[in-house]
Amino acid sequence: MQYWATMVLWIILAALTAAVAAILILPFARATKAASVDRAGEVAVYRDQLAELDRDRAQGLINAEEAEYARAEIGRRLLAAAGAGAGEGRETAAPKARKHALATTAVTMVPPVIGLCLYLALGNPGLPDQPLEARLANPGNNVALLVAKAERHLAENPNDGAGWDLLAPIYFRSMRLGDAELAYRNAIRILGPNPLRLAGLGETLVASNDGIVTEDARAAFEQAVKLDPDNPRSRFYVGLGFEQAGRAAEARAQFEAIAKGSPPDAPWMQLVNQHIAKNGGTITPGRDTAQAPGNPSQADVAAAENLSQGDRQAMIRGMVDSLAERLKQEPNNLEGWVRLVRSYAVLGDKPKAQEALKSGLKQFPSSGELVALANEMGLAVEGVAQ
Amino acid sequence: MIIEIGHYALVLALATALILSVLPVIGARRGDAAMMALAPTGSLVLFALVAFSFGVLTWAYVVSDFSVANVWENSHSLMPLIYKYSGVWGNHEGSMLLWLLILVFFSALVATFGRNLPDTLRANVLAVQAWISTAFLFFILLTSNPFLRLDPAPAEGQDLNPVLQDLGLAVHPPLLYLGYVGFSVCFSFAVAALIEGRIDAAWARWVRPWTLAAWTFLTAGIAMGSYWAYYELGWGGWWFWDPVENASFMPWLAGTALLHSALVMEKREALKIWTVLLAIMTFSLSLLGTFLVRSGVLTSVHSFATDPTRGIFILCILGIFIGGAFALFAWRAPMLKAGGIFAPISREGALVLNNLILTVATATVLTGTLYPLILETLTGEKISVGAPFFNMTFGLLMLPLLVAVPFGPVLAWKRGDLLGALQRLYVFAGLALAAGLAFFYIQNGGPVLAIFGLVLGFWGMIGAFADLWYRANFAKVGLSVGLKRLAGLPRSVFGTAIAHFGLGVTVLGIFAATTFGTETVVEMKQGASVDIGGYSLTYDGLRDAVGPNYTEQRGHFAVSRGGVQVADVWSSKRLYTARRMPTTEAGILTFGLSQLYVSLGDAMESGGMVVRIWWKPFILCIWGGALVMMVGGFVSLSDRRLRVGAPSRKAKPVKARLEAAE
Repeated sequence: MQYWATMVLWIILAALTAAVAAILILPFARATKAASVDRAGEVAVYRDQLAELDRDRAQGLINAEEAEYARAEIGRRLLAAAGAGAGEGRETAAPKARKHALATTAVTMVPPVIGLCLYLALGNPGLPDQPLEARLANPGNNVALLVAKAERHLAENPNDGAGWDLLAPIYFRSMRLGDAELAYRNAIRILGPNPLRLAGLGETLVASNDGIVTEDARAAFEQAVKLDPDNPRSRFYVGLGFEQAGRAAEARAQFEAIAKGSPPDAPWMQLVNQHIAKNGGTITPGRDTAQAPGNPSQADVAAAENLSQGDRQAMIRGMVDSLAERLKQEPNNLEGWVRLVRSYAVLGDKPKAQEALKSGLKQFPSSGELVALANEMGLAVEGVAQ
Repeated sequence: MIIEIGHYALVLALATALILSVLPVIGARRGDAAMMALAPTGSLVLFALVAFSFGVLTWAYVVSDFSVANVWENSHSLMPLIYKYSGVWGNHEGSMLLWLLILVFFSALVATFGRNLPDTLRANVLAVQAWISTAFLFFILLTSNPFLRLDPAPAEGQDLNPVLQDLGLAVHPPLLYLGYVGFSVCFSFAVAALIEGRIDAAWARWVRPWTLAAWTFLTAGIAMGSYWAYYELGWGGWWFWDPVENASFMPWLAGTALLHSALVMEKREALKIWTVLLAIMTFSLSLLGTFLVRSGVLTSVHSFATDPTRGIFILCILGIFIGGAFALFAWRAPMLKAGGIFAPISREGALVLNNLILTVATATVLTGTLYPLILETLTGEKISVGAPFFNMTFGLLMLPLLVAVPFGPVLAWKRGDLLGALQRLYVFAGLALAAGLAFFYIQNGGPVLAIFGLVLGFWGMIGAFADLWYRANFAKVGLSVGLKRLAGLPRSVFGTAIAHFGLGVTVLGIFAATTFGTETVVEMKQGASVDIGGYSLTYDGLRDAVGPNYTEQRGHFAVSRGGVQVADVWSSKRLYTARRMPTTEAGILTFGLSQLYVSLGDAMESGGMVVRIWWKPFILCIWGGALVMMVGGFVSLSDRRLRVGAPSRKAKPVKARLEAAE
């Protein structure tokens, strides 16, 4: 199938080349008459100028004296043109048959040679056309296409809550945080709040704010806790919010509530215990294997707060590097780049930040967000934007 | 497959352009008819190939084929269809392809309608056009290829820059390029004449329609760009002396000079060398504009993605063509025969004055545009040459020109009578003065200088018709005969009058809008009102709205006059979701020729909104005048005299069919 399509392509290209060469050879195939070095065009122009002069004179636009001057001037040009034309015409009057061996060779050889060489270097003859409609009709298991298809469906039916509900976590996982936030909000608006959606929205907000539990995010988590008091994930973030706000007692109350409600071997207990300790509480001994509730990267950030300064740096560094690695694989992620640049800049690694900015701008040349960030972080855009 | 055929057509176009660059020139030297005949045939083939290629790229945009990198970078499947079409040239690669398409389109026009040209001249002109085409084909294929593919293809595009998602993008670049690139024909004519070493009055007549067409499109393109910037950027200004604007304005100034000097050359065979020089300069400035905008030397909305190899490539093209043309000029120009002589006070003299002022003005703008760039390259120091510099230098230069405009057409050729011209014009000057004073009285309260500006505007508008009045000779022969005489005048006379009138309208608009306009920046809460320009605006709060590929907050304002509500204005802040890029959409309300311009600023913590409101009286005159100038250009272009010069090769009378479009 693909093979035949490529064959057909090459046949069409060959036919096109032959057609161009054939049309270009036409002038040579016609009877070769010598060029008339005629200045008839010029003569016609001057004749017309004389006629115009007569019209002007007849309408009284110029006086007799002026008209005479002008007539003499145009007449002189007319004579010169007519005379020269006749003279030169005589010189080349005898038509001699010219041979165009070199010229015809050039005309027949240049199109196929240049065409083939350059096209082979630049083209992709094996790649078929891929109009989006056709691809969407048959997406296979290409996640990006499936997402695009869902997006189209939602663009036409913006009130399909289930669609938003489905897309939101996918957006979140692929770091499209802005889209994730919109999707969660739409799902909540249409289907009503439930703990899962609220927690998802909260986490999206925390992730877009570099791990800080903002006012909006806390409100979402608190509502989730109200609907489902036993949800450790939402509780954890409510507690984290208090902790970040410096309200240690309230934070501890939340963490302790999680510890009380969880089985002692729950994978998140270690993390919760660390936070209880941090906020001045005593720890009930639990299992060693710590796993963050919900989104690991956010919990990792939280865990990092309890590590020693050096360890914490190393841990954050590792996370940032893994983000960089991921972006190398899937560079089509503006928010990812913004986060990467910001992270490197905050870590004080200017060369890396600069490098990330460069790669990001290469991917998104007109991103105002990246440029604004660069200015904020004191990174040079000029050298990069070239 | 279709995309690959389009790519191949572009490669084949390069091969054709290479052949066209060489063989017709040799043919013209040898007097070989077959080789010269290759030029028109080949130019049509070249146009067909590039047009096909452009069509394929457009198709890729329309069907959202994201396996084409260029489509993926600049399109989005949910974008409205019109922007999928205009998005083709809303990026570097596509806009260069449009540039090329228009270039070969003009070549094809010369090939089709240039039958009246001598064979050698036509062959040389088309060959020079092919040189330019070759250079840009190499540039496109090697550094800015729009047909590069992505495998696997992404599922969704990155969207077109939101600022460019506007009807303006559909109109402004094609018009501007028709102007920019149209001057390439004048350039090719000049270079061809230098190659042949012969130039005469007929040459000027052959070049004139091309100059006129290019000038007309450029006028429209610049006016359109200015209006677009005015309503899209939300800054309330219509001309910023931004380097990119200057880049399009310089060819216009030089082109205007060329238009007038070609007139002298056609009539009197004087100013030959100067006209050739101007033709070269005008297109050189077009190329310089392309370089400035495309190389990334300047950062602006126009720069799109930039890349140093492109800059160097365009710089090379620039160096070869400008340097080559000027070298050829230096070598050949002294061999050209000088033409007729004239007294200082004459139509020619007036046109020379026009040329002097226009070229000095061009040089001023060029200096103001390039000086900061050169200084930054040499010393690293960043300075900005802004509006004050241009207003002082350029503005002062323009004043005498504007005064002189009505004089030109009423002066006689060769030897004019200034006193006579003054006598003929004083009635019109009086009328202009009266109109200016009346206007001032009605608007009441601008600075004194404004009167001068207004009078100047009316002087241009009214004075434009002085020539018609005296040619028809209404005063002596009465109305009916006068009208008959008026009808008998060549169209180019009307074209001149209309274009000069348009210039006056623009000048009037500039002075009225800058001196009588008012600006207010206020913080408004819901229900608050502001009085401006005799209207009262009441802020009615923000509302959320969703567009196809953006979300927006629309501020609603009710506009009332004398307590009666007359209109609504919506001014909004948009967020384009794919690029997460915010834009402001100004709310503009038109009253007659004046406009009320409302732009939203930031939301305040107190719940209010910063709102900038401008009252811009007679602002539409600025662009309206440019449109009138354009109409003048077209009227002049339809003059039958531009169609003559068809040699009686077949000894048949000249019919007005194909020639009509020349």
